[in-house]
Amino acid sequence: MASSNTITQQQKPERSLSPWQIARRKFLRNKLAMISTVFIIIVTALSFAAPFLAPFLSPLPDVARVNIGSMNIPPNSEHILGTDKSGRDVLTRLFYGGRISLLVGFSATLMVITLGTLVGSIAGFFGGFVDNILMRFTDFVLNFPFLVFVIVLNTILRDTIDGVSVLIIVIGVLSWGGVARLVRSKVLAEKENEYVLAALSIGCSPLKVIRKHLLPNVMSTIIVQATLIFASMIVVESALSYLGFGVPQSVPSWGNMLSSANEPDVLQGKPWIWMPPALVLTCTILSINFIGEGLKDAMNPKSLR
Amino acid sequence: MLKYSIRRLLGMIPMLILISIVVFTLAKLMPGDSLSGEIDPNNTNPEYIAEMREKLGYNDPLPVQYFNWITGFVQGDFGKSTKYKRPVFDVIMEKIPNTLFLGIMSLIITYILAFMMGMYSGRKPYTLGDNAIAGINYIMLAIPSFVAAVFAIYFFAFNLNWFPFGGSVDILVETGSAEYYLSRLHHVLLPALVLGAMSTASYTQFLRNDIIENSRKDFVRTARAKGTPIKKIYNVHILRNSIIPLVTFLGFDFAALIGGAIITETIFTYPGIGMLFLDSVNVRDYPTLMALTMLLSFLTLAGNLIADLLYGIVDPRIRLE
Repeated sequence: MASSNTITQQQKPERSLSPWQIARRKFLRNKLAMISTVFIIIVTALSFAAPFLAPFLSPLPDVARVNIGSMNIPPNSEHILGTDKSGRDVLTRLFYGGRISLLVGFSATLMVITLGTLVGSIAGFFGGFVDNILMRFTDFVLNFPFLVFVIVLNTILRDTIDGVSVLIIVIGVLSWGGVARLVRSKVLAEKENEYVLAALSIGCSPLKVIRKHLLPNVMSTIIVQATLIFASMIVVESALSYLGFGVPQSVPSWGNMLSSANEPDVLQGKPWIWMPPALVLTCTILSINFIGEGLKDAMNPKSLR
Repeated sequence: MLKYSIRRLLGMIPMLILISIVVFTLAKLMPGDSLSGEIDPNNTNPEYIAEMREKLGYNDPLPVQYFNWITGFVQGDFGKSTKYKRPVFDVIMEKIPNTLFLGIMSLIITYILAFMMGMYSGRKPYTLGDNAIAGINYIMLAIPSFVAAVFAIYFFAFNLNWFPFGGSVDILVETGSAEYYLSRLHHVLLPALVLGAMSTASYTQFLRNDIIENSRKDFVRTARAKGTPIKKIYNVHILRNSIIPLVTFLGFDFAALIGGAIITETIFTYPGIGMLFLDSVNVRDYPTLMALTMLLSFLTLAGNLIADLLYGIVDPRIRLE
């Protein structure tokens, strides 16, 4: 660390921080990113605790049941955010909806990142023929109009398999192209380094080189990308659910709740039904984006903050 | 440049064929007669169906069916819509002008907003105004377009009554009169604003960063040394250089507009091809659905091609790849 011929030589040199530690410090000092993280943690916690919290939130804890006696009640002390057109408590549904929206977003992101990293790293590492084939295939996937194919595929498959998993798979299969391209370009640059040559020359298998040497070095890029994709996946889920092509109507999700705004009468006169999911959704997306930006900043060795 | 364009065009052909095969496969996976729409879905007589299937060639081997379908498709034979009982081609052609109008309006709005904000931010970076613009852009990027649309209808159409909340034209005005065109413009403004705001943020930030970068270059210093007014340096010398890379965004906007149009048109009940697409899914009008899927895929491909070609024009190094 310190130069060897100074007086401090005898003292044990202070251990330098690992790149991850530096990144963590930078991230912790980023106020906007930290506020966003806290917000996301709260939203996630409340969403996943929904079944336990529901009895305390309102007298109508069951989100699946239609309550004819209590339809369209404006917010009051009993129903903090009011009830919707089927007499279900908006706040309770908001919590349950978060669970589905976050879960779909997270699973789809996991799938996109796994597929993209797999294709990208293999194409980048092996190059040549393999690269050509895989990248043409990636171009092919990227050339589909995403929303159109998600809707068509979802329509075909919806009746055969359970709705939520179909949605995750369809979204995942259609959107890994961007990640694959990104990972490939990073791997291409990274594999020119001597340590890769060294690892290969002592007989490491290509798989091991990718896993142990290349992936850790492109990990920071992947993590940042994953955060941003997570946000866009939540948007995709809610947009599809809003249009009626996402998760089944019986399952509460933020998009499904928002779809009641399709009726002019609800949109105009009963904002308490659609505004809470709209606001929570927007704040969640905004927070995830801030976290992504914070991570990007924290993991960039060139940024000094 | 010609060689590069031809190479790009030729590279598109296998992509077109592959996409058409995928669409054909999807159509075959759909229940019933999803390609021609000739079989009446209400007639369940098995003899009738068998006869029609034979007549339409559905018992031929799949490659033959594919070939017949694609030759028809290229010639504009998209089958018959089961909902409208008319050729799909006519139904689509009827709606295209609306979508085109919406797309062009939203592009104009994007350019106007982005240029105003980007030029201000680029000229006065790291000031209060620049930060405010960056903040607005951040929020515009984060808000999902359908949420923005819902809020826009709530505030501008219902509460302020500035715009109509749906449709493409007033029913009462006479077609072709000046009032008619004004009414159409009035109807398209709000959806176009929502659609246009989506891509404004990336344009603005790009323009800002490019202007800042260019303002440090030698030609700017020379212009300053000669005594050119700052305003002229920014509005003429720098802007000319910064517009060029911005042009390449146009192709990608194409693809984004298609996805955006499906959502915005549906929310604003604006009768374009995006709404027709969702409508055809809902009423199970499969011939229309498949034709639109094919058409929208082509448009996306064309958009990507345009982006590629524009890149080639802007950055000559790419052509030599």
